[in-house]
Amino acid sequence: MPPLTEHIVLRDLDIPNIRDFDVYLQHGGYEAFRSAVTEKTPAEIIGMVKDAGLRGRGGAGFPTGVKWGFLPKDVFPRYLLCNCDESEPGTFNNHQIIDRNPHQLIEGIALSAYAVECHTAYIYIRGEFAAAARTLDAAIQNAYAKGFLGKNILGTGYDLDVFVHRGAGAYICGEETALMESLEGKIGQPRLKPPFPAVAGLYAKPTIINNVETLANVPMIIGKGVQWYRQFGTEKSPGTKAFSLSGHVNNPGNYELPFGLPLRELIYAPEYGGGMRGDRPVKIVIPGGASAPWLTADKLDITLDYEGVAAAGSMLGSGAVIVLDETVSAVELAYKMDEFFKHESCGKCTPCREGTWYLTKVLHRVSTGHGHANDIPLLHDVYNQMAGNCFCLLGESAVSPIRSALKLFPEEFEAAIRNGTPRQAPRLAIPLVAVAAD
Amino acid sequence: MPDVSVTIDGTQINVPVGTNVVDAARLAGVAVPVFCYHPKMKPVGMCRMCLVEVYTPKVDPATRQVVMGEDGKPVLALMMNKLQTGCTTPISEGMVVNTASDRVKFAQKGVLEFLLTSHPLDCPVCDKGGECPLQNLTMQWGPDSSRFDYEDKIHFEKPIPLGDLILLDRERCILCSRCVRFEDELADDNVLGFGSRGRSWEIISKSTPAFDSKFSGNTTDICPVGALTSSDFRFKARVWELKSTPSVCNLCPVGCNTSLDMRYNELMRVMPRENDAVNEIWVCDKGRYGHRYAVQENRLTTPLIKRNGEFVSATWEQAYSLIAERLGSYSGAQVAGLAGPKLPNEDLFSFARLFRENLGSNNLDHRPGSPADLPLDDLPRTYGVGKGTNLMTLGKGTAVLVIGADPEEEAPLYQLRLRAIAQRGGDLTVVSGYPTKLERSATRKVRVKPGTEAQFALALVQAVAAEKLASEEVLGSGRLKFSDEYRRVLAAHKFDDLVAATGLAREVVITTAKAFASAEHGIIVYGRSAAADPAIPQALAAFAALTGKLGKANSGLIALRPGGNFRGALDMGVRPDAAGQPGLSAQQVWQQAGTGVKAVYIAALNPAAENPAAAQALQKLDFVVVQDLFLTETAQYADVVLPAAAVIEREGTFTNAERREQRFRQARQAPANLPADWQSFQAVAQLLAERAPVAVAARTLKKGAKVFTPEAPQGWTAMLTSDVNDMVTRSVSGYNAASYSALSTSRGAWGRQPNEAVYYDGTSYENTEGVGIQIAASAEDSRTTLQLNLSAPALRPVGELVLLPVARAYDGGDWVRGSKLSARQVPAHIIMSVADTARLDVGIGELVTVSSAAGSITLPVQIETGLDLGVALLPEVRGSTLGALLTGAQTAITVVKA
Repeated sequence: MPPLTEHIVLRDLDIPNIRDFDVYLQHGGYEAFRSAVTEKTPAEIIGMVKDAGLRGRGGAGFPTGVKWGFLPKDVFPRYLLCNCDESEPGTFNNHQIIDRNPHQLIEGIALSAYAVECHTAYIYIRGEFAAAARTLDAAIQNAYAKGFLGKNILGTGYDLDVFVHRGAGAYICGEETALMESLEGKIGQPRLKPPFPAVAGLYAKPTIINNVETLANVPMIIGKGVQWYRQFGTEKSPGTKAFSLSGHVNNPGNYELPFGLPLRELIYAPEYGGGMRGDRPVKIVIPGGASAPWLTADKLDITLDYEGVAAAGSMLGSGAVIVLDETVSAVELAYKMDEFFKHESCGKCTPCREGTWYLTKVLHRVSTGHGHANDIPLLHDVYNQMAGNCFCLLGESAVSPIRSALKLFPEEFEAAIRNGTPRQAPRLAIPLVAVAAD
Repeated sequence: MPDVSVTIDGTQINVPVGTNVVDAARLAGVAVPVFCYHPKMKPVGMCRMCLVEVYTPKVDPATRQVVMGEDGKPVLALMMNKLQTGCTTPISEGMVVNTASDRVKFAQKGVLEFLLTSHPLDCPVCDKGGECPLQNLTMQWGPDSSRFDYEDKIHFEKPIPLGDLILLDRERCILCSRCVRFEDELADDNVLGFGSRGRSWEIISKSTPAFDSKFSGNTTDICPVGALTSSDFRFKARVWELKSTPSVCNLCPVGCNTSLDMRYNELMRVMPRENDAVNEIWVCDKGRYGHRYAVQENRLTTPLIKRNGEFVSATWEQAYSLIAERLGSYSGAQVAGLAGPKLPNEDLFSFARLFRENLGSNNLDHRPGSPADLPLDDLPRTYGVGKGTNLMTLGKGTAVLVIGADPEEEAPLYQLRLRAIAQRGGDLTVVSGYPTKLERSATRKVRVKPGTEAQFALALVQAVAAEKLASEEVLGSGRLKFSDEYRRVLAAHKFDDLVAATGLAREVVITTAKAFASAEHGIIVYGRSAAADPAIPQALAAFAALTGKLGKANSGLIALRPGGNFRGALDMGVRPDAAGQPGLSAQQVWQQAGTGVKAVYIAALNPAAENPAAAQALQKLDFVVVQDLFLTETAQYADVVLPAAAVIEREGTFTNAERREQRFRQARQAPANLPADWQSFQAVAQLLAERAPVAVAARTLKKGAKVFTPEAPQGWTAMLTSDVNDMVTRSVSGYNAASYSALSTSRGAWGRQPNEAVYYDGTSYENTEGVGIQIAASAEDSRTTLQLNLSAPALRPVGELVLLPVARAYDGGDWVRGSKLSARQVPAHIIMSVADTARLDVGIGELVTVSSAAGSITLPVQIETGLDLGVALLPEVRGSTLGALLTGAQTAITVVKA
């Protein structure tokens, strides 16, 4: 399949300076919103999003239109939250959307808010994205100035306010209920579900929460139509996905692909990853952020859509594809990843709080050559004591790296314990990929 | 509620809809271990200890019918394909729960192993050791050894104070958040929170002063490990050395059941004892930490007789003889008796009998005779909540009207219990002239103009007629009789005028009246501010009667008045109006001191402390007897001082605000074998009965201490406290069924189940020693005629400012001696509005001189932002000398900067 001639969310690649409000307007910006509020009912918008088959891009892949339909009838006020706590290791597409195409996100929020009949929307952005938060604030001001936000929008009587709220830098606040706690000014920890946010979310009111990329899709669906949208991707995963490609590829970065392309193409096509660094073979691919189970080189022909990745035993997740070559030790990689989850565990439930801490303790000693003879069965026990038993998915995510590592590379653990000194010093397993603010 | 059928570990059981799996298992006799779950709080599913396998019948999505297997039974599916936390999973029809499969056992072991990784295992020096849920659950469900290295444990500074009463050991804490949730959900004190995250997550105190809650001690009970300990008990004793004695707290009219945990003769700690109808499993900090007064060094141990202005020790024979001789030399009208409302029923009964029978005097009172005294009010005896009342069972369908009361200050447990009714769906209206904490939990917060509670109450009565809210049943019964005054007052006070006086919209009054009238159960709680004007209780009684909220369980009045056993004092007749020609009230006694009244016998009261007029009057009397634990301000004026045994040193009974009589036992040997108060009253009565000084039989105990042993003249023949109680049951109306054996029955208490320890373990005390008996309200007898009366509201005095006395739990009374709460006692102060203090240009803590027609005092100022202009509150705390200032229920004052 050739590269996209037209992007859906990373439109900055098609249209230079689309981050400028005038440029955005020149290219049909806010026309979808204008037509929606003046000509369409909220139910029609929901219907279009449903028909387009838009699925949540934040990780779970739940159909967005169906989610919107869960709102109880006649319960107001309602809230729309845009989740921009982009914290999953290896994920950086939201950042690019906000930096380079912010107005499309704001239009998407306005459209979605109109669809779910809410009058207040919050963008929860991770605290480290200070420049991005300023960009969003400016874009919101532009929209207010043109009457796309505020009271009596475009003379229709519809009101909408959008606020940007900066988090304080906790991975867990990307979890929807923890995000709401944090937004309410409380300590960021997940809530018990049910009640689900659609029933009782922010301030115990019905709440819809969507990822940045999901919401950025909405103006294109409404503006260009369901048929146009469904020409991309597969039957079950329509549209495109902005993949964040990182690791030992020649050209790391964000690439928007229609769903259904082979993983191999993302890594090796010259317009995408451009192959592996030094032509080394692929050892491990983590297709959906740190929480996703690992894949090995024999899985490179899977298709990049929700079903294809799931069939291979992993998940598409946030679309953060981390590709690692043989220079990486599986033991170290598992250690490094669980170190992250340990650092980010909120502490609310026992298995995650104590389990992540203990996993890293054992992994550290194994990876530094001080492993004990029975550490492999111990690691199996510890992650099994966590798996399925944690309060939220953070603890489950922490199980993924160690389970993958032990399943796919048991010999590396045995060698590390037997030989005592596997490597010199732990290295940074995931190379940093910078997305310039400008 | 309909039941659903579930199977738990093979036992099929029907449980009400909404029950969670942990509670359902408990009903099936199956223990599911828990740490964070507590049945009194909302489940949170944090600790993951209660993981179980939950199977639900598979439902065909197309037909919505349960799929049946080949064996004719429903096909079961594991819920969410993983283990579920039992505490957060409500049961549903056909559910099958497995709590003991290998998978569950692996998970339980795993959670316990995780919890123990960061636990210091310092059980040998931990106060919780021996009653620790973590110990117990580890024994039953945990791994037998740990694979974790000791050096991997995290170490913290230990302990750190969360406040002056509670200390936190972060190493022991398993982060179940029970303490935080208790304070937020039940106590409504937003004082605890969390800091940091992950394994560094910790409990922190957010308030100033730290951990500022009147219920803080309860967090140490529900803490499932030794993380929270109280400075009152820490390192005092090992719990298995303690002997538990059932007792009842008499520091407020709630009557919380407590356990006095003793080591030999030493009081080690006071713990709550379960009683669903009284305190559930809680006790306030005053009740927990306020009973150390009895073990103070400066207790009186011998009788004192004043000779030449000096107290000298005397023998009991000398003291009793002198008292009998002197009291016997006056006529009945010349003597008066004042006995405090904290004394047990047996003592109050004996005291009243001594005065009425042996001295021929009706000059009896349980109030100190200060201008701040509340008028006598016995309406709850008729219109009080009926037998079988249990606030714990109330929620939807119940309307509670709280008026002129600050429950947390006057009877702290009502704060928890009334808030809980509102949380369970009850309708809670809080009517007050000034901010109270319970307002925050109210369904309807009604802030009247200060001092217009009477107008509000009368408006409710008017609303009954206007809105046709009267109960047909009650009106039809013909039991209600209306006095002429009732009709006259109603005619003279129009609804609109009354509402206007309160400053409310008329809809507020009407909605309140309708909500109350239409509820299945209706309870009216009135306190200090409402009881000050007799018009208020009368109107409330009329309102309850007209709307049919009387004579049955869970409906009627609850009065909160000073004194833990004020109800007993009224019932036992320590009041001037109980029989025959009314005698003098305490206030009249002081007014007539030296003229009409010559001698006074004061027991367990300290009128001289707050009322200069009483101190002056005492000097005018010929003969004063003071019976108390300490040489109080009042005792300084006595001719004879008698010591007495403290509550924890004897047995007896108290009657609480809901008229539940409860029995307490002796936990400690009194110093010098001091007699109980009633024994001294009996000794004096015996001597008087013989009309001549008679040597009282005394015997010498092994250690040389003397104890009074009553002889048997003229019917004063009690040998044991139970003998006095027998007399009470024979002669006090309503108490005939309240024998000691009946009071000691625990049937109907929280039904304990096998393995109950799993839930309430450690430091909750099962009630096996009696839950008491509720004395019926007279309206429960359908033959009683109900005479309704009303009075005009007291006139609001004209003045620059109106002063209202308000009650405080931490009042600096004698109970605070030796208590860890002494630091929490506030000095006397006056509370004023922002506007008034701005006008006077005074800031917080600055002194003002407060003057009324009666006198003037100088006090520091506190500012209350929610208070109306023109009103000042004067908390009744030690040193406030309220008596010098008050002229009535409301007092006009002027305030100037001192």
